[in-house]
Amino acid sequence: MERNIQEDFTEKLTQAVGEGFSLRWETDSKGVVTGWCRLNDHSQITNVALIVSRLGGRVITITAYKTKDAQQKDIHEIAYHFDLDGCTCTVTIEIPRDIGKVNSITPILKSADWTERELQELYGIKVVGHPNPKRLFLDETIDEGIMNKLIPLSVAMNGATSKTLWEKVFAATSKEADNE
Amino acid sequence: MSTYTIPVGPLHVALEEPMYFRVQVEGETVVGLDITAGFVHRGMESLALQRNIYQNITLTERLCSLCSNNHPFTYCMALEKIAGIKVPERGEYLRVIADEIKRIASNLFNTGILAHIIGFDSLFMHVMEIREIVQDTKETIYGNRMDLAANTIGGVKYNLSNEKIKYMIKQMDSLKKPLEEIVDIYMNNKLVRARTEGVGILPKEEAIRYGVVGPVARGSGVNNDVRVKSPYAAYDKIKVNVNVETGCDVRARAIVRLRDIQEAINIIQQCLKKLPDGPTCIDYLPEIPAGEAVAKSEAPRGELIYYLRTNGSDMPERLKWRVPTYMNWEALNVMMPGNKVSDIPLIITSIDPCISCTER
Repeated sequence: MERNIQEDFTEKLTQAVGEGFSLRWETDSKGVVTGWCRLNDHSQITNVALIVSRLGGRVITITAYKTKDAQQKDIHEIAYHFDLDGCTCTVTIEIPRDIGKVNSITPILKSADWTERELQELYGIKVVGHPNPKRLFLDETIDEGIMNKLIPLSVAMNGATSKTLWEKVFAATSKEADNE
Repeated sequence: MSTYTIPVGPLHVALEEPMYFRVQVEGETVVGLDITAGFVHRGMESLALQRNIYQNITLTERLCSLCSNNHPFTYCMALEKIAGIKVPERGEYLRVIADEIKRIASNLFNTGILAHIIGFDSLFMHVMEIREIVQDTKETIYGNRMDLAANTIGGVKYNLSNEKIKYMIKQMDSLKKPLEEIVDIYMNNKLVRARTEGVGILPKEEAIRYGVVGPVARGSGVNNDVRVKSPYAAYDKIKVNVNVETGCDVRARAIVRLRDIQEAINIIQQCLKKLPDGPTCIDYLPEIPAGEAVAKSEAPRGELIYYLRTNGSDMPERLKWRVPTYMNWEALNVMMPGNKVSDIPLIITSIDPCISCTER
């Protein structure tokens, strides 16, 4: 029987990281297989990238997000979405709060290039070893890690809209008063 | 020969949206490229976290006009996966019809712009005239020429009466002949061939390495068409012929897009023929539990992915999407060197770049 790419991935991952991961495959009603994997050790992500590269896969995208740890403190997680011949396998790692950095997989999988630069500037997670780590979208004047903050619109605009609006209203009403 | 750097953009006549390219040239030949993005970054992913799951259907549709349907479509599929919602079969077919009609309009737009850039303006106008047939169809069926508002959680918000089905069949038929004419021009006209053949080469192995998607990948012989590789909606029930070219140049990418239009007409006709009876959408307001899901679709420019995390509330915990153009930019570093300065806008157009999508 021909081996499928999911079996290959599982076998190679076991060889590389031993017991240090959890993995499940889901098949939907159309027969499309999706993988969900979680690594115990975040530094193993480069090993996963090597496996994906050997299997001819690519990075679809990488999602960073904030979540809560067991003590209800903010931590970062990064979900790597790999493509293995049409099958999307999401590999998630946790970035400990005191570390705040992760090894770049761009030297192994070129397709991670932009998305690693983006998560670095949006979440302030340092991507170590990226060949071109400069800003992607955000201007240098904006702080890194902007997605970690909630900035209410009223603060961001410093009341500019409402002030301008009220000045116009006052000007119009005072003109009306003059005419009367 | 002296080497110097020329700036292209951020505002440039050949670019519809802002992007800044620093192109290193030696004489007339491009030797290097540096891309600076971020001029229209709107922070939409952050915005999506401050809106509820229903508001985000409207928000994601406003990401980009040309592939607007794919965004709410894929976002809804992610929600449906988390909540375990089964979309009625008629709804799945109607989703495919809406998506393919957008593909026709989008690809015609790009191939039209390509003609304009090579200075063949009568062809540009001819293509845009054909596109009007599609725009009229969208306006008649969906009430809108760009944002169709077709998708909702658990199905679609529109239905096709017998009269509308007949109208659509007629409109699709009327596209075929003029389309054949323009495909012939793009493939055989001497002027078009001279400007597009052998220009902006992206070899197959580089296409794989850069992880490019859509017509850019298929023009270099790489088939990662989501409709076939991981079918969704009604794509598992209909026949989709994937168009793959091996020219690896601007011409190959244009041919893939034109062939995709012809295939989209074929898909719409199959759907109209097989359209099952029944509801178009679920009849209850779903509750979305905590969970995570990925959903993918083949947008006009290639693979689109949505990753959604929910926490049981009506606000998403994280919504991330990656648009096809995002993957294709870096490949310009392979396509550009060795080409003439006059081909820069043409090569950029050949990846059908969508900047509002890229920067979100």
